[in-house]
Amino acid sequence: MKIYILKRVIIAGVTLLGMSMLIFVLMRLAPGNITDIIFESAGYVDEADRHRLEAELGIDKPVAIQYLNWLGDFVRGDLGKSYRYELPAWDVIKPRLPVTLELAVLALGFSVLLGVPTGVISAVRRGRPVDYALRVFSLAGLSMPSFWLGMIVILLLVRSLGWIPSMTYVSPFDNLGANLFQFLLPALAVGYRSSALIMRITRSTMLEVLREDYIRTAWAKGQRSTQVVWRHAFKNASLPVITLIGIEFAFLIGGLIVTETVFNLPGVARYLVDAIQGRDYPIVQNLAMLIAVVVVTANLVVDLLYTWLDPRIKYGQA
Amino acid sequence: MAINAIEVAVPERHLAERTWRAAVWLFVRKNPLGALGGLLMVLLIVAAIFADVLATHNPVRTSGRVLVPPGAEFWLGTDNLGRDLWSRVVHGSRISLLVGLASTLLGAGTGGLIGLVSGYLGGKVDLIAQRLMDIMQALPILVLALVMAAALGPSLMNTIIAISVVIVPRAARLIRSSVLAIREFVYIESARAMGVSHRRVAFRHILPNTVGPFIVLVTAQLGGAILGEAALSYLGLGVPEPYPSWGRMLSIAAAEYAQKAPWLVIFPGLAISLAVFGTNLLGDALRDKLDPRLRGS
Amino acid sequence: MVRFRPLWPLAAVTALIAVPLLPLAASAQTPKYGGVLVTAPLSAAPSLSPHEESTVAVVQQASPCFNNLVYYDPAKKQESGDTIIPELAEKWSWQDNHRNLVFLLRRDVKWHDGKPFTSQDVKYTFDLVRGSPDAKGRLRVNPRKLWYENVEGIEAPDPHTVVFRLKKPQPSLLLMLASGYSPVYPAHVPLPEFKNKCIGTGPFKLKENKPGEYVEYVKNPDYFVKGRPYLDGLKFVVIRDRSTQIAAVQSGQLDVAGTGWNRANAEDAKKGAPKLVVVEADSNVNDNVLINFKKAPFTDRRVRQAINLAMDRKGYLIGPRQGAATFGGALLPKPAGVWGLPAAEVSRLAGMGDPAKQKAEARKLLAEAGFGANNPLKFTLSTRALPIYVDTASWMVDQLQQVGIEATLEQIETGVWHPKMTRLEYQVALNLTGVGIDDPDAQLFENYRCGSQRNFSGYCSEEIDRLMLEQSQTLDRAKRLALVNDIDRKLQADGARPVLGWGKQHWVMWPHVKGWAVHENSIYNVSRRQDVWMAK
Repeated sequence: MKIYILKRVIIAGVTLLGMSMLIFVLMRLAPGNITDIIFESAGYVDEADRHRLEAELGIDKPVAIQYLNWLGDFVRGDLGKSYRYELPAWDVIKPRLPVTLELAVLALGFSVLLGVPTGVISAVRRGRPVDYALRVFSLAGLSMPSFWLGMIVILLLVRSLGWIPSMTYVSPFDNLGANLFQFLLPALAVGYRSSALIMRITRSTMLEVLREDYIRTAWAKGQRSTQVVWRHAFKNASLPVITLIGIEFAFLIGGLIVTETVFNLPGVARYLVDAIQGRDYPIVQNLAMLIAVVVVTANLVVDLLYTWLDPRIKYGQA
Repeated sequence: MAINAIEVAVPERHLAERTWRAAVWLFVRKNPLGALGGLLMVLLIVAAIFADVLATHNPVRTSGRVLVPPGAEFWLGTDNLGRDLWSRVVHGSRISLLVGLASTLLGAGTGGLIGLVSGYLGGKVDLIAQRLMDIMQALPILVLALVMAAALGPSLMNTIIAISVVIVPRAARLIRSSVLAIREFVYIESARAMGVSHRRVAFRHILPNTVGPFIVLVTAQLGGAILGEAALSYLGLGVPEPYPSWGRMLSIAAAEYAQKAPWLVIFPGLAISLAVFGTNLLGDALRDKLDPRLRGS
Repeated sequence: MVRFRPLWPLAAVTALIAVPLLPLAASAQTPKYGGVLVTAPLSAAPSLSPHEESTVAVVQQASPCFNNLVYYDPAKKQESGDTIIPELAEKWSWQDNHRNLVFLLRRDVKWHDGKPFTSQDVKYTFDLVRGSPDAKGRLRVNPRKLWYENVEGIEAPDPHTVVFRLKKPQPSLLLMLASGYSPVYPAHVPLPEFKNKCIGTGPFKLKENKPGEYVEYVKNPDYFVKGRPYLDGLKFVVIRDRSTQIAAVQSGQLDVAGTGWNRANAEDAKKGAPKLVVVEADSNVNDNVLINFKKAPFTDRRVRQAINLAMDRKGYLIGPRQGAATFGGALLPKPAGVWGLPAAEVSRLAGMGDPAKQKAEARKLLAEAGFGANNPLKFTLSTRALPIYVDTASWMVDQLQQVGIEATLEQIETGVWHPKMTRLEYQVALNLTGVGIDDPDAQLFENYRCGSQRNFSGYCSEEIDRLMLEQSQTLDRAKRLALVNDIDRKLQADGARPVLGWGKQHWVMWPHVKGWAVHENSIYNVSRRQDVWMAK
């Protein structure tokens, strides 16, 4: 068992390393670098000045050396300086993290609250109109671009209530009410989509479990159906659902990027887009690595959790 | 125990009356959602192929009739340059379908090939390929596509490549597990024993058996590819002008005219949603039919 | 017998009634103190250092912090040599036939950190900007170095006198120093600090800067202009989405908005909040077409002319500009501008006439140059990947199609745009230019002189260069105008950087906002905001 854990951890580490190289190289492939962006703001390019600036920022060195420098710093916890803002990268990322985290947690919470019950109902009432209706509803959530949903919601609210997305972020510690009000709609927009996935998985695992013999036995024994459903079926169907929730956390990030843009929230996800377009290498690299670390760790935890909970898999293939 | 609780095999009627129309009608009745999906897909394809006929105006022709609400002359209204929205939405189906199909096929094809080779050969090749796929999959879809699109620049070709890259690991994983299952079959071993080359075995015997899961994969990913293109175009990194792209129509409209001309936001988004909805429904139905292991949803 | 009636009781009563009423009458015009004004800038400011940037977003958000030697009077809508008022300089005078410019500086000015302002700060700043070899620092990027290339040296003979010694007479130098791009920097603050902070002498002190989100200022209690500023504070909140900006001003969360707005946005805002005041004025921002003079077939004047003729200016007005634009040659024409061609001449420029005739003429020229239905002219039209550029470029593609030219639109990302333009790596491009000051020296040298870094068309004419130098040294206003118009005519005839039109600027503000200056021939030189007050 210990060897298994060790193997998984090593694999995770290798994955992260590969990711770092991928991100690093991809960013450097983009035409134009940060000096071009700086000159862009100035409205012209002077080659002599540009070379000098590149030397100052350290981007005239060979890519491999830049990569090793960065990796070394990252491992030591030094996230470097943002080219664009000339502030430590961590100073730029830190205040934005709570925003994205809060949005992600709220969205996930909403998706579970919506996805699980609808999945259960749909499974129990399989083939009935309720099932079809819920399936269509959840599939609609998967089909709509989440930013479009956000736009439509804002459009409706602005027209009917005169409401607008808040201009500046209000921290939950300053004013919980205002903060929740600010996050409610974006969380719904992101969560709707995730709830669809959770609903589908819940439904299919519930269906499988419901067919199992011991459920039929319980029914045959005359136990009340709701008891059967919740006590036996649900408990056993929850395992894949839990693991999906863990993985969903990482998948949310795509939805977060566009939703933060639409709702004007100063989060880390939206900032990633800015940084990519602004060729702010330190920010992009560090943010992407942070996301990768979160994702890989989540996968690792889920893997180990699954193995621990389901002994059948433990000694199987990698 | 009541007698009607016993399950008895009953010959299904369609074996007797095997006309084409009857088969389709049965499909519709048994899978109403799948049929709906099929219908939406057909509409999408028709719109894409016959865009020139279905459009009422030239989609790139600007005019002085700016921001006109939907009406008799401009069915869905006009945008800020006086271009007819209906014609742009119809032509946009071409881009969405093109980018969606191209990137899905490219991604699934590449990934499938990788999965086929690594699953069949196993060993070190498999290990390395799997790690590579893990790495590609560790980044959330949009982030990877974003970085790629930023690296390559906004263009039609680059958007297709960016989205296909995201699909490769999923395809590889699926095909690989399929291959692993088939590889153990006896007839493969006997073919090898008879001296048939690796390549022949892989392509002649194994590959055809992966077609089922491959089709499922393509339909499942097509929706995601269309959404991916929309998101990239919304963020400014997707298909550039003058190709009318639904995603880009949303980005410009949202930025400037959402309040004044809500039709600019409603209709392109609706088009995306319906297209993806159709592919998802169809994909689900196909999966139920072709891959009984995944049945039950 | 006539009784003498004392007048004083009447006077007293009148006074008792009238005196309390006087403030009521005057309060409608007397500025009130207090309040924090909130507005949305064009975009987040890449830094707070105007000398190192070229976007109005920086000028908007940094000007409240600084002062210039001289400035354009906020109250006068048209900027010119006649509207220059003192700021850090109390008096100035030209000497030696406009070859030396002497400034006598104020003695009561302190930097925001308490240190006194002296002539050394002025010398430091402008040695820096002109790239003088003995400058005490170095700007990372220096967009307006060109403005000061005629400066031979700067002297600070005593702490309150500065002398600019020029190589040749140049009346325009004073105007350049009055621009929002020419503030005076403190010599004792290291340059890198200007990225996110601001130490100036201006009416507002920087309170907080959250890059990408907002910039907040607080009143400077020690400002050298007594009684200013009226506001307690000034806040610039970055809102990317246009609809959100509109909704924000409608709901009162913003007091003023409108940077980058077009007419449709302004009308939209007013519809939702009828009390809003809409201000529409000329700006000095134009859409222009860059035709690459160094690439065939654009070396053929007929091809250039054909492209110019194909652009129907009236269509441009209705479509991309939604009815809000003016037309002219290379320089903004009257009444908003000072140096433009007369209206009669403007109406005869290419693209201004009957569109059908002009397009037919375009086709004829193309045929003469060897292009036609069998051999259509094909090229890539490049533009920046921003909506305001792309819209106009899409319109252009359509116009070109109507004369048989097959143009494909290429969107170039922000970071690569200027490098590509500087290196002339394009065929035809659509460009948007915001003009810093309405002055021929500033505009002509940058955009049309042989070899200038911002001469993106690659245009080069010895004759024009000569004429440019001549007008720069001409002191007589009328003679200079004649020379400038002559240059303008020649540029239009050559097809050097044809201008599609000059868009207008639109502002919406709540009625309680007073003193919000808007200038008609530049958007860069009004952002000091020391005269703004709120009547609430």
